[in-house]
Amino acid sequence: MNQTEVDVAIIGGGIVGLCTALELARAGQGVVVLDDGRHSGTTANAGSLHVQMQSRFIRMYPEQVAGLEASLPMYVAAAALWAQLAQDLGADVELRASGGLMVAEDEAAYEFLAAKCAREAALGLRVHMLRQAELERIAPYLGPAVIGAELCEHEGKLNPLLANQAVRRAMLSAGAVHRPETRVARLTREGASWQVQTAQGTWRAGRVVVAAGAGTAALVAPLGLCVPTVAEPLHMNVTEATGPLVGHLVQHAERMITMKQLAAGQVVIGGGWPARLAADDGHPQIQASSLFGNLGLAQHLVPKVGRLRLIRSWAGINTTADGQSILGESPQQLGLFFAVPGDAGYTLGPLVGRLAAAALLGRDGGFDIARFTPARFA
Amino acid sequence: MSSFRWMSAAGTVEVPLREGQSLAAALTAAGIRSFRETRREGPGRGVFCGMGVCQDCLVVVEGEPNQRACMTKAKPGMEVARQTFPGVPALPREAATRPGEAPAMPRVEPVDLLVLGGGAAGLTAAITARRAGLDVLLVDERVAAGGQYYKQAAPGLVAPMLDAQQREGAALVAAAEASGAHLLRGAEVWGAFAPDSLAVFDGNTTRLFAPRALIVATGAQERGLPLPGWTLPGVMTVGAAQTLWRSYRVTPGKRVLVAGNGPLNLQVAVELAEAGCDVVAVADSASMRSIRAGFAMFAAGPSLSLRGIGYLSALLRHRIALKRQALLVRVSQQDGALLATLRGPGGEQDFAVDAVLMGYGFLPANEVLRALGAAADHDARRGHLVIRRDAEAMTSLDGVYAIGDCAGLGGAPAAREEGVIAALAAARRLGRSIPAELDREGAAARARLAKHRQFQKALWRFFDAPRPGLALAEDATLICRCEEVTKGEIAAVMADGAPAIGEVKRRTRCGMGRCQGRYCAPVLAEWLAEAQGRPLDDRALFAPRAPVKPIAIADIVALGPR
Repeated sequence: MNQTEVDVAIIGGGIVGLCTALELARAGQGVVVLDDGRHSGTTANAGSLHVQMQSRFIRMYPEQVAGLEASLPMYVAAAALWAQLAQDLGADVELRASGGLMVAEDEAAYEFLAAKCAREAALGLRVHMLRQAELERIAPYLGPAVIGAELCEHEGKLNPLLANQAVRRAMLSAGAVHRPETRVARLTREGASWQVQTAQGTWRAGRVVVAAGAGTAALVAPLGLCVPTVAEPLHMNVTEATGPLVGHLVQHAERMITMKQLAAGQVVIGGGWPARLAADDGHPQIQASSLFGNLGLAQHLVPKVGRLRLIRSWAGINTTADGQSILGESPQQLGLFFAVPGDAGYTLGPLVGRLAAAALLGRDGGFDIARFTPARFA
Repeated sequence: MSSFRWMSAAGTVEVPLREGQSLAAALTAAGIRSFRETRREGPGRGVFCGMGVCQDCLVVVEGEPNQRACMTKAKPGMEVARQTFPGVPALPREAATRPGEAPAMPRVEPVDLLVLGGGAAGLTAAITARRAGLDVLLVDERVAAGGQYYKQAAPGLVAPMLDAQQREGAALVAAAEASGAHLLRGAEVWGAFAPDSLAVFDGNTTRLFAPRALIVATGAQERGLPLPGWTLPGVMTVGAAQTLWRSYRVTPGKRVLVAGNGPLNLQVAVELAEAGCDVVAVADSASMRSIRAGFAMFAAGPSLSLRGIGYLSALLRHRIALKRQALLVRVSQQDGALLATLRGPGGEQDFAVDAVLMGYGFLPANEVLRALGAAADHDARRGHLVIRRDAEAMTSLDGVYAIGDCAGLGGAPAAREEGVIAALAAARRLGRSIPAELDREGAAARARLAKHRQFQKALWRFFDAPRPGLALAEDATLICRCEEVTKGEIAAVMADGAPAIGEVKRRTRCGMGRCQGRYCAPVLAEWLAEAQGRPLDDRALFAPRAPVKPIAIADIVALGPR
């Protein structure tokens, strides 16, 4: 079996792994990215840039609200970093800071948003409440069901298909090695370094970054570490292209939905409707109830999307643990670093990559990551 | 004669129409061939598949974009516009939404047997299943049942039957109508979530059927062959040209060239010559000289063989040149006509024509079967998936049968026998006792099926020729018609890390368009297999996704009467 030595082995080639590799390679580290690529959230991602607190998390996990609020500045920074990265990459990744609308259908929901808006404004976000008349001006595509919305100016969208490639190219030209279709079978410590076994050979690495999303838990369990990541398979849809229609990232105060329009005109509809994992190989698969529910809600909010034909629906995997990122070195397993983003992982990708790289390099990444320590689950 | 209005950048014209004609047929008859704009500058697109699959012929009908001209009936006074890219700047009107919210899921409708497809296989299955005492629902996407082999005249079109093939189809449709099977026509199966969960849009609402047995008889589509100029308006499949003539009595143009491989091309050339076309040549990549295969064909199917000989002699009678071992290598536009170049043993030859008809055989329309997870094997020689079936046409999924061309291209005669066999198997499975007479018919069908399969094998040997794959495509040739992705763009991505097909799709958008990869996936999969040594199997293709065909969101969520 061939063995290759490298400074840092990154397990996971999603947006986090790629961004971590880019940062480390630029800092002069010898890096390999080992990418199974089968269960990645990144390749199935729909490209929302989330900043305001997503109501579904507030509703599903009320105990996490304090943590969500504490993390808000990270989301602002993450969206800004995406803009900076897009510029830095010199590639058009169709990033649009279009703003995001979280819509309300009744007064109670409007009040819920208004309270959330006030908390977010106090934390420094550029957010405003809009009544129907103002919405009609900036978002005429919304149907009569919407009575008001919270606008978050930091939000927007990008095209992950383009962004993934741009980051990958930048990472390669910075000298990192990319091994797609390479699943890590086993991770073992050997003296001061690590052995990373794959079907295609074993890598010896000085340090390891685990950027394996939902696969993290199973990967590090044999090392005696408890990092309870869970795969949350989610449903997504894309329509055929049309002229400009949906100008913002659209979400709902009480129900699960995201809608946005790509630069080429397709409308992407998702937002957390559940998918399932296939019994045989664990591939995420859609379920009919989510397709009907997600699209019914989309047409209810933006009646004109009803005229567009659905081209494709698919399922991707969101990673969740306690809603917060998992970042930094394991105190039990020195040399083992974690780079698993909290909710809205694609938005956080570049920032989490930067923070993980900074932790590994002993630099200041601009955020105190102590509360994201992987040791908090022990 | 009545007419509809056609609006394009060139101005507005009145297009005459005959009752029953599709928009595509009436526009073609009027000499209008480019129906929509593309992302890249160029002559646009028009009719290609002629059967609702390729999504190239999209037009704006009464302000409603993305309507397939080949599937939309022309009506007097209609306003139809050439579609701009990517669609219309503003969608015309809002969908009819009910106050409040639609129910989350459609009501589930149980049925004994659901048959998908109203062609030779599906109709026969429905008739037999009724005789065996099953409740049968047959869903067909066309308004006129009969499928692609029997191609019936469009409803409303006043025209005599063309020949025995059309009469045989009409008789089969009539028998299905009389059988007591419920025929749901003009209905699209768009969701195959599980063998007992199939979503169908019936033209008005989406319905969710839970059959106790399912017979999939969704037929085939024609294979595309990427070569320079294959997306030009006026270049279409032979099947599209045959539909124009047999269903709407319109010819694809005055001067036509037929090129490709297989017996359908000979038949369509003769039909069009008899319809008054000047068929300048029929080019076939095969030598068609295998005496052994000829004998084998005759032994297994004398009447079909005689029909073939009849087509060959009709070609002579009409003085149509049959170019053996000749390939269509490119098509270009010149002085308002198409210039098609054939390359044969004697060198290259150009033909100026109105229409170029490409016929390179078929691909099974197996999307529903793949979505359900039916096991399949790749037939490398024929270049398509073959669904795994037992002797009674049941797939790897309990109670799910695959019959006719969707299972692996056996031709219409075999499809009818499989219809009988699968219907009887489904009836037995659902506890019906089969009358002795039907049982005997089943045995007879089995015996005939063996003969038909022998014939089909010999036919393939007779027309055996290397498939050109992507050999004719140049760097600038589009592989993905919908997203307009060139061979050069894909080659560049393949050179960058040998990505799998899903990654090629994500990096290039090849296969992400409206036809959902139906034309590009087979050639791309073969290219990747050859370049990267990957196995050609179900996973080598794009993953099957819902919807089976594009469908308006309003139609998906139309869960009650509107």
